[in-house]
Amino acid sequence: MTVNARRPLGWAAVVAALIVYPFVDRVLGFQTVHAVSDGMIYVLLALGLNIVVGYAGLLDLGYAAFFAIGAYSMGLLNSPVLGSPLYGYPWSFWVCIWIAAVVSALLGVAIGAPTLRVRGDYLAIITLGFGEIIPVAIRNLGDVTIEIGSWRPIERLNLTGGENGVNPVGRPQLPGVPFETDPVPWYFLILVIGALSLWAMNRLRDSRLGRAWMAIREDETAADCTGVNPISTKLLAFALGASFSGFAGSVYAAKLQAITPGAFEFQVSIMLLCMVVLGGAGSLKGVILGGMLITLFDRVVLTQTTFMVRALGRTVGVPALATADLTLWRWFFFGLGLVLVMLLRPEGLAGRRLRPAPVADEAEDILDVVPAPRVDAVPEWLRERAQDGVAAAPAILDVRSVTKRFGGVVALNEVDLVVPRGAIIGLIGPNGAGKTTFFNVVTGLVRPDGGHITFNGASLVGLRPNAIVARGIARTFQSIRLFQNMTVLENALVGEHCRLTATVPGAVLRPPAVIAEETRARARARELLTFVGLGGKENELARNLPYGDQRRLEIARALATEPRLLLLDEPSAGMNPREAQTLTELIGLLRRELALSVLLIEHHMEVVMGISDRITVLDYGTRIAEGTPAAIQRDSRVIEAYLGTGYEQDLAG
Amino acid sequence: MLDLADVSTYYGNIRALRGISLTVAAGEIVTLIGTNGAGKTTTLRTILGTVRPHRGTVSFNGHRLDTLTTNRIVRLGIAQSPEGRRIFPRMTVLENLELGAFVRPDREAIAPDLERVFTLFPRLRERSAQKGGTLSGGEQQMLAIGRALMARPALLLLDEPSMGLSPILVDTIFRIVEDINRQGTTILLVEQNARMALRVAHRGYVIQTGRIVLHDAAAALLRSDLVRKTYLGEK
Repeated sequence: MTVNARRPLGWAAVVAALIVYPFVDRVLGFQTVHAVSDGMIYVLLALGLNIVVGYAGLLDLGYAAFFAIGAYSMGLLNSPVLGSPLYGYPWSFWVCIWIAAVVSALLGVAIGAPTLRVRGDYLAIITLGFGEIIPVAIRNLGDVTIEIGSWRPIERLNLTGGENGVNPVGRPQLPGVPFETDPVPWYFLILVIGALSLWAMNRLRDSRLGRAWMAIREDETAADCTGVNPISTKLLAFALGASFSGFAGSVYAAKLQAITPGAFEFQVSIMLLCMVVLGGAGSLKGVILGGMLITLFDRVVLTQTTFMVRALGRTVGVPALATADLTLWRWFFFGLGLVLVMLLRPEGLAGRRLRPAPVADEAEDILDVVPAPRVDAVPEWLRERAQDGVAAAPAILDVRSVTKRFGGVVALNEVDLVVPRGAIIGLIGPNGAGKTTFFNVVTGLVRPDGGHITFNGASLVGLRPNAIVARGIARTFQSIRLFQNMTVLENALVGEHCRLTATVPGAVLRPPAVIAEETRARARARELLTFVGLGGKENELARNLPYGDQRRLEIARALATEPRLLLLDEPSAGMNPREAQTLTELIGLLRRELALSVLLIEHHMEVVMGISDRITVLDYGTRIAEGTPAAIQRDSRVIEAYLGTGYEQDLAG
Repeated sequence: MLDLADVSTYYGNIRALRGISLTVAAGEIVTLIGTNGAGKTTTLRTILGTVRPHRGTVSFNGHRLDTLTTNRIVRLGIAQSPEGRRIFPRMTVLENLELGAFVRPDREAIAPDLERVFTLFPRLRERSAQKGGTLSGGEQQMLAIGRALMARPALLLLDEPSMGLSPILVDTIFRIVEDINRQGTTILLVEQNARMALRVAHRGYVIQTGRIVLHDAAAALLRSDLVRKTYLGEK
């Protein structure tokens, strides 16, 4: 990575400004440190929410609940006053802040778990409910009585302080630092926590975990079929997002010295969401900007403007102005600001601009646009993998009488199909015959109603798609399913996800092993992209690639999972004869050089007849023929149902 | 009937079309062939008004299209298919087809047209009560074409109608193209299957990186070296 010479200077300036700011503020008598500190707490919250919404794409409308949990964890453990048995003696702030983060993370997992199967609108509604439940629970747990007959094991227990909240909450103790009287130590405390969080998030985003989140956001099914476990990935996003709010909540409670359930209502969740969306979901810089803008607007601009408007009202003698309170209009202004941003810059103030890529330069010769695959470009590491596979069984994939019904429709009816090791098998049939369903059954997206699927000697039935990828089956999709808003390189890297091992501590702390793994992964991804003909386009967004390149990228992503069997679903659809020819050469090369087995759905007869060893024909979910390409072309049932009579002249040209 | 004069279209600051001139006369089948990314789909989008030309004019039967909204353009009698198979996934096959006829004033002629679509694609009749989203990819392709036919347009824009269809259906599709053309529909056909497209078309244009590099009678294009090498895959 090249470092821009001006950037270290820029960073030094930012750090210096952040350090000098509170002292300048004091000298000038602005008294904005409190507001800025609070703003930083909200920025930290928004950054946590950004992991869930911006990276993983899970709309969370109840994020303030985690804020509340963080704050109450601190408040309850650390409060010296309330009379319940829990509050015997205050614990140190420095201990409680970690407990609060852990408690928040655990609750993040607890609410994440039941919501894993749902997405979009439904997930949003569940989080909305959770966001409502927490403040209500806090209110009602202030006075708990349990009655069993006449026995009252618990009577009027005050767990949370109820409507009155917890007051006071103990402050952090550090020798010689006046947290009691001075806002400046708070400012620096929050600055340090915020900077560390930002550092950690930045590293997480650039790790295999960050890529997995974004892959889930872009296309959960494709991510699953590329080896990313959607369940653990989403749970991790919930847990980490919540743990950052645990930090923010603890500091908030200790700084404010008092917490009440009213501080964690629905509108706080919405305000945090506004910060993320306003700045640009998925962009750390944007979220910081959005968070600071909204808090400062609320805390500084609105109050100052109110003073000015009132002064003006008194001077000109307009009573309506003299008693105006603009802070009551804050939601009006937030709403207006959000509407304007969505209209003018939907990607957020600092979001990644979505611009299409340049089309090929006019000087470029059209014949050179599609490079032919080259044997010497086959990545060496893929060759090494190819040697690994020891023949456990003669057939790499053995499917026996697989049946799948959708309602009354039999999509697959006792289908048998065998892929010998190193073979290319064609799967053809009329539209709607069940070919893609067959792929979906083999890759675990759809569970068969009956039959056996054996890969490398072990059954695949019941495994999740990502587990099947890990065993060595990769696929492409009929309608291309790339991670559109990720770069070409990132798409290939997601393919390597299941072969990488970095966990959260590894991704954040980056020990040498993780650095080496990541460097190797990037080098491999680049080699692979060069091999399929995408060299030089690594940093373009997948969505901006021309159609043929998108097809090739999907194959590269599949190869990155180090498969032993590749399932290609109409790879040459939408390609002209030249491109289809190049693709045919590529598939042949993969088999020859890497001993890769291929199962191919294809309607271009010049492709499928040219490279398949054997062909299986499906019609209405039933296998109607199986044999060599030559035999299939003569089969009367196949000609009647599928080939027709016109294709021959087509093949002949 | 349709006339594009020196049309340039930009995405952001990238010029996708670099001064395209193209005409389609009433009753013709005209095909536009080119590689992916050459600007074929952008040309169709510019005609339909989903992107705006920065320079040049698009006119249809004397109306300037480049200032009209897409729904006005469709009401003038232009329909597109399959538009990347953008069917309505939560509506039934029948509802999808009926929506194709949404802008038509001649209510009584819709039923025979529906029958015609079902005759062309028996698979759609079998699945008429199914939700569009449950169809296979190729079946969605048929539905998109059927929906465009239901609009009975004066000009039909076909964007790679043969993509993802079985060989027997590819034959059918091109037969349908000829049929509906004989019944009076003018057609602008974008295809990767240049051989089939040039067989049914009267005239053809070859587009490369946003420019028309060649246009001629379809039979002449089939014999041209450029087309044979680049688009027919011949050595």
